[in-house]
Amino acid sequence: MAVTNASGVSLSLNDRMIAGLLSLCIGAFLVFGAGLANSAVLHDTAHDVRHSFGFPCH
Amino acid sequence: MIVKTLLAAICAGLMAGLFMTAAQELRVVPLILQAETFEGEPAPGASPAHEHSSLDSSSLFPSLTSAILPITPAYAHDGETHEGGGILFGMGRFSGTLIANLVTGAGFGLLLGGLGILTGSPPSLRTGLTWGALGWLAVHMLPALGLPPELPGFPAADLSERQTWWLVTTALSALGLGLIALRPGVVAKGAGSVLLALPHLYGAPQPADIASPVPAVLGAEFAVAALATTLAFWLVLGSVSGAINDRFLKTA
Repeated sequence: MAVTNASGVSLSLNDRMIAGLLSLCIGAFLVFGAGLANSAVLHDTAHDVRHSFGFPCH
Repeated sequence: MIVKTLLAAICAGLMAGLFMTAAQELRVVPLILQAETFEGEPAPGASPAHEHSSLDSSSLFPSLTSAILPITPAYAHDGETHEGGGILFGMGRFSGTLIANLVTGAGFGLLLGGLGILTGSPPSLRTGLTWGALGWLAVHMLPALGLPPELPGFPAADLSERQTWWLVTTALSALGLGLIALRPGVVAKGAGSVLLALPHLYGAPQPADIASPVPAVLGAEFAVAALATTLAFWLVLGSVSGAINDRFLKTA
């Protein structure tokens, strides 16, 4: 019982690490693309959003 | 379980982004449009303001701008001629804002969810508001102390310097707030406070010339509106994340 418990915990811990890091990477990518990327098309599409979220713009 | 977690964060982010679009259209976008009508004018006692984006259908001087500049004005402040401006897929201005809000919302939702999982206390309905408030402090309020939300046409220092300062400040603020909120003990709280203060002691990049053609009253209204709407955005994001986590991930 104790063994199954322990393995269950470590597995879910591993899963949590993967889920957490994956979330951070994808999230950072999306925020960077919308808020900071130095591309004219992305800038113009997200222009009002960049200003209202207070991302440095122009 | 991994996919479920990611989907929960994305869902919460999309809802918050949708909410943010409504809030922006009510208060923030009108101020941006109003500021853009002043943008082309020379500031009193200053060199002519830099040109703005190609979204100048609402500007007073679209024809004048395009007559002077054969390239789209987006180039002018971009500084690099790698692609033309214009909105993705030829969408309208509102659609672009909506898409960008959804993407940004999903991005912040994933960042919030990821930090929640890694710190072992993901947002719940009970802690969601606190998570949201801390997110707002780290991403908006604390960086705004050095770089307040700017309207189009405001004087500003070099873009990449400001972006670097903003990124570093956001990261240090998140780390500092995490230490203060999640770690017990005076040492952790002291270290967290130092991290919060560091970027401000270093100082944000400031423009050499602060003359602006945009009226100061608009800037003040805009700064408050931007901070208020982003606060609402983060509170919605935290609460919805918490509600979804409680409802769908408790048993996972």
